[in-house]
Parts: sequence; C-alpha cells; structure tokens
Amino acid sequence: MLEIKNLHARVEEDEILRGLDLEIPKGEVHAIMGPNGSGKSTLSYVLAGKDDYEITEGSIMWDGKDLSELTIDERVAAGFFLAMQYPVEIPGVGSMTFLRTATNAVRKARGQSELNAAEFMRLVRDKAGDLQISMDMLKRPLNVGFSGGEKKRAEILQMTLLDPSLIVLDETDSGLDIDALRIVSEGVNKMRSPDKSILVITHYQRLLDYITPDRVHVLSKGKIVRSGGPELALELEKSGYAEYGEGKAA
Amino acid sequence: MNMMTDRKSTAAEDSLSARFDAALTELPGADVPWVREMRETAMARFNARGLPDRRVEAWKYSDLRAKLREAADLTVDGDDLTEAEIYEALGVDFDEMLSYRIVIVDGVYRSELSNLEGAGDKLELISMRDALNNPPKWFEEKFGQINPREDEAVIDLNTAFMSDGIALRVAQGAQIERPIHLIMITGSKTSGFVSLRNFVRVEEGAKLTLMETYTTRRAPDMQRNSVTEIEVGDKAQVEHIKYQNEGRRATHVTSWMVALGKKSKYSGFEFAIGGEFARHQTFLRFLGEHAHASISGAMMLWDKQHADATVVVNHDVPNCTSRELFKCVLDDRAHGVVQGKAIVHKRAQKTDGHQMARSLMLSEIAQFSSKPELEIYADDVICGHGSTSGELDENLLFYLRARGIPEDKARALLVNAFIDEAIERVENEQIRMAFLARSADWLGQKREEDN
Repeated sequence: MLEIKNLHARVEEDEILRGLDLEIPKGEVHAIMGPNGSGKSTLSYVLAGKDDYEITEGSIMWDGKDLSELTIDERVAAGFFLAMQYPVEIPGVGSMTFLRTATNAVRKARGQSELNAAEFMRLVRDKAGDLQISMDMLKRPLNVGFSGGEKKRAEILQMTLLDPSLIVLDETDSGLDIDALRIVSEGVNKMRSPDKSILVITHYQRLLDYITPDRVHVLSKGKIVRSGGPELALELEKSGYAEYGEGKAA
Repeated sequence: MNMMTDRKSTAAEDSLSARFDAALTELPGADVPWVREMRETAMARFNARGLPDRRVEAWKYSDLRAKLREAADLTVDGDDLTEAEIYEALGVDFDEMLSYRIVIVDGVYRSELSNLEGAGDKLELISMRDALNNPPKWFEEKFGQINPREDEAVIDLNTAFMSDGIALRVAQGAQIERPIHLIMITGSKTSGFVSLRNFVRVEEGAKLTLMETYTTRRAPDMQRNSVTEIEVGDKAQVEHIKYQNEGRRATHVTSWMVALGKKSKYSGFEFAIGGEFARHQTFLRFLGEHAHASISGAMMLWDKQHADATVVVNHDVPNCTSRELFKCVLDDRAHGVVQGKAIVHKRAQKTDGHQMARSLMLSEIAQFSSKPELEIYADDVICGHGSTSGELDENLLFYLRARGIPEDKARALLVNAFIDEAIERVENEQIRMAFLARSADWLGQKREEDN
C-alpha cells in the first residue's frame, strides 16, 4: 500500500504541496485530478525523487519502506515507476541500449539475473508488439524523432519491462489521439493486478473512460480537497475546476 | 645561436640549439647534402623564432615555451619492449584488429616487431632513417614539400632533429583494405625528446587507412614532437587516424601536413586522452578540385590535462568541401582547445566548409577555448562555424535514473552519447569500435583514479 501522510514539499522557495494525504491499497487504481498549478506534476516528481523537489514535512511509505530515503534509482528498484508527461529525447543513446541497461540495472538491484542480448530481444519483441512499437522505432536514439503518441507508448513499454508495483502516470493522455490513448490505456490495464497500486494523474476525464479508477481525488492548492468514486470524474468534467482552482480551470 | 628576437632564450631553447650543433653529424642524412641543408635551414629558423608562446596568435591558448622549460635528452635508453608490453601500453584492445603493424620504440623503427606480411608490392616501406641516409627518388622529390610551412617553429624543430619514423608509398590504384597501425611507443624509463617524422605518398586512385598511436610504457613525462607529411593523390582515399594515449606528464606535439589532389577524399581523426600538454595540428591544402576532407576529433580530459586541436585548411582551388567536428569532455581542471581556420582563396569558388566545436563540462573549473577563423576571398562560397559548451543536462540524467539506472552509469551513458557522435566519424569499423569501448571505460577509469 502507498501511504502519503501530511506531505509538504517545495520547489526552490515555493511550497507547492501543503499537507497532502493519500492512500492507495494494492490492487487499486486511483486518479488525481486538478486544475493547472494545483501540484499534480510536483507530486509525481516528489514521488520520483527529482532534485530540487524538497520534502519539508510528512512521509511517503510504500510497502513499509520510506521512499523519501531512497535515491531516484533505488525507488525504481523498490517498484516505483513514473510515466512522464514529457519524455525527453536523448540523442546518442540508442533505444535498445537504454532499455536493456535500465532493465538489467533494475533486475540486478532486485537480485534477479540479468538478461543476455538474445533473452532481452525476445522480451522486447513480445512487449513492443502489444504496444504497436516497431523494431525500427527502437533502432533510433531514445525518443528522438518520436511523435507524441510514440513517446507515450515508449513510456508504457519501459513500464512493462521494468515490472513495477507502484505506478504513477503523469498526464499520460496529453498529446494523444484516440487510437494512441486506447493503446496506452490497454497497456496500463494489463498492469492492473492485486499486487500493484496505480495512480493516474490527469487534467481531463477522458483517460478515465479507458482506465476506470477505483477512487478519484481532487487536488487543489497542494492538498486533496475531495475524494469519491469514478462518478466524481464525470462531475468534474461537467462543472470544471472553477470552484477548486486559481481561475485557470479548463 | 643568435636569437633575432628581443627576448631572452629559455634553457630549453639554448640546450636544443647546442645539441643540434653537436648532433648534426650523427643524425640520419648527415652525408646527404640536401638533407643536411634542410636541417640547418630549419634550425636557423627555429633559433630565430624560438618555441611558440602565447604571443604567437596560433599558440595563444597553448604556451609551449612556458611549458617546455627544459628539453630532455635526445637519446633515450632504448629498453627493449616485448610485444605483450606494447599491447598492454596501448590501453585499447586492438587484438582483433586485422592490421598491418609498424612499431617504433623510443624513436627507432623496429622491423622485428613490425608486420606487413601480405601487403605484397603494393606498399613500399622504409624507415625514415634509411630514407634520409639513402633517399629513393619518390622520397627525395617530395619530402618536406607536402603543404610545407615556414611559420611553425615545432615543424622546423622536427626537421632539425628528426631521427626516425617511416617513409611509405602506396602504389597507384592499390587498395590497402587492412589498416596500417603505426605504433610509436616509448619504453625508456627516463624522459627523452623524441622527434619522429613520417612521410606518406598515396598515389592516384589508391586507398589507405593509417592509424598513428602514440603511447608510453614507462616514463610518463616524454617530450614528443612528431610530423607526418601525407600526399593524397588524385582520386585517392585516405583515412588517417591518431590515438594519443601518452603518459600523464607527457608533452606531445604533432603536426600533420596534408595535400589533396583532385577528386580525392581524406578523413583525419584524433582521439586524445593522454598527455599533460598536447597539441595536434592539421594543416591541409586542397590542390585539386572536387576533393573532400573531414577533420574530426574527440578529447577526453581530466586532472590538469591540456589538449589542443588546431586545424588550418587552405582552399586554393574551387569546388572542394571540408567538414570539421571536434568534441571535448572536460573534467577537473582540464583545458580543451579547438582552433579551426579556413582560408578560401579568391579563385576557390563553390567552396563548402563547415566546422563545429563542442564541449561537455563535467566540472566548474574546467576550461574550453574555441577559436574559429575564416578568411574568405571568394564570393560564391558556403562557410560556417559553430561552437557550444554545456554541462550534463540534469533533466536527461533524471530521466535515466527514473528508469532505474544508477547515477554513475547514467552519467557515463550521457558522456558517451556526447563524445561518441565524434567517434562515429571514424570510418574503419574495428578502430571505431575500439575507440567507442575506450570512451565507455573512461569515466570508470577516472573514478578509480579519484578513489
């Protein structure tokens, strides 16, 4: 279970999260929705451990471990995975080299055997096919020249290869057309299982048509201000964020 | 030894001058009047000019005069090296490399360590010592005349003291598919002042891959001043690679003088990781139309290493293209220098030249100096240059770590992604792979030394 208690965090001098509480039991998918500037992306970076995102109060426990005491890569070894809103392009690092390095780094950290080139190739072929990612695409440098949809599908491929148990999807729907949205959602739905906790962070309700959450939370000014079932997302879709936000609601 | 300059000569300059007078009759070619005269003329010019210091514009970032306060002995003790020791000193696994091999130890060509088996009569190779003592016609008619320069004191110094090296001729149309690996290694326990000279003629339509490796087995503080002249005949293709893996306190200067015939192709590349003070100069001149030159390099420096890549390209004829790409990874207090000068003669219309220098700074006190210079006298040309300097991108680093890659490994991946773009310019696959492997080891080796 993920247990976030009274989380306060700041970026440089600005306090963005101001006492956030959240619990996601294993086997559940929760969604966090909120207006721009409410702290959605900050929460995902704080969970990932990005530099410059400083926890000033509160705790993040996963499976009895205090995530905030782990380095970025140790969190991944512990099962954490963040699908990024803006996956970066890295010229000069081949996609396959990257995927294999990451997969084997995580396997090694978890005490599993590293995969040799042939074993890894089979695994990638298998997983990439489901996501309609061609092997040609993987011959390119990491994310270089990928369309928005390709980048997001590549994120999901990374997720499946790293086999996480705590998954955060940060605005994964942004920049996706309907087909890509469907493929990405199927990838996420396949990950649903009794031993995983999944958090979907989104501005819009539309992703939740494909990934049905068990719980929906509204984030405003760095706190969860309301929680409910999937119907809460539909309500927000109608009413907008005017009552929660800084007037920047969609 | 009358210095014509107003400054006081240094101990190094004085001793070089005195040693020349003493050594002249012992140096190869002492009995060949034109060789002797060539040495004397060069030494006279050197005496007048002295070692280049920062007041010489082309040497402003690399003050050799300040660095070389004392010149080491001309003679080195010539300890024997075994083949295994030579390979260990290379620091790169070239075992798999199917190359012809020429080995020069402590400034002396060693035929018993060299192997040109199978090259047949397509190659004519003699030691520089032999060439100077008994010059064959193909040597005498062009030696010292491949894109010659009279304004470079280090080249004059080399001409004055050149002790050995190779003279190589690739016959017309000969396709030498295996690279020739010229290993210039020092095995001496004490420092020495080593002046090697190589002379290469690649005749019309011939093809050659030549790699020069500079390394040391014992003394870390050798002083080396090499020159390679290379004539690329009409329609000939040459890939010319240098691997600079000198000792950590070495002073290393090399000058490549290159002349290109029509429709020829030349790719020069330097991979520099050794030495304390190093400079690699490429002087290239287009003599025939529709020729192409690519001059690139990768430098990986730490501690207080200083490495300088200087290129001067003369476009004397129309319709030639040149491309330069240099990349430097700089850590600690290292200083990387890239200077690229292009001179486009007024008749050299349709010249297409481009140069780029980039550095990746891994420390706040590392230094990168980049100086592009364009002198263009023709009006219908495309010439451009660019230079960038940056740190590792924290967002990229975060992304890699957020995929479970430990920080050290993530940094190494990004450093290699940066430098490998330059190494990819090496066309010979075996050499390219060996360099890529060496660059991948670099950060790890540095970390070990730091600990």
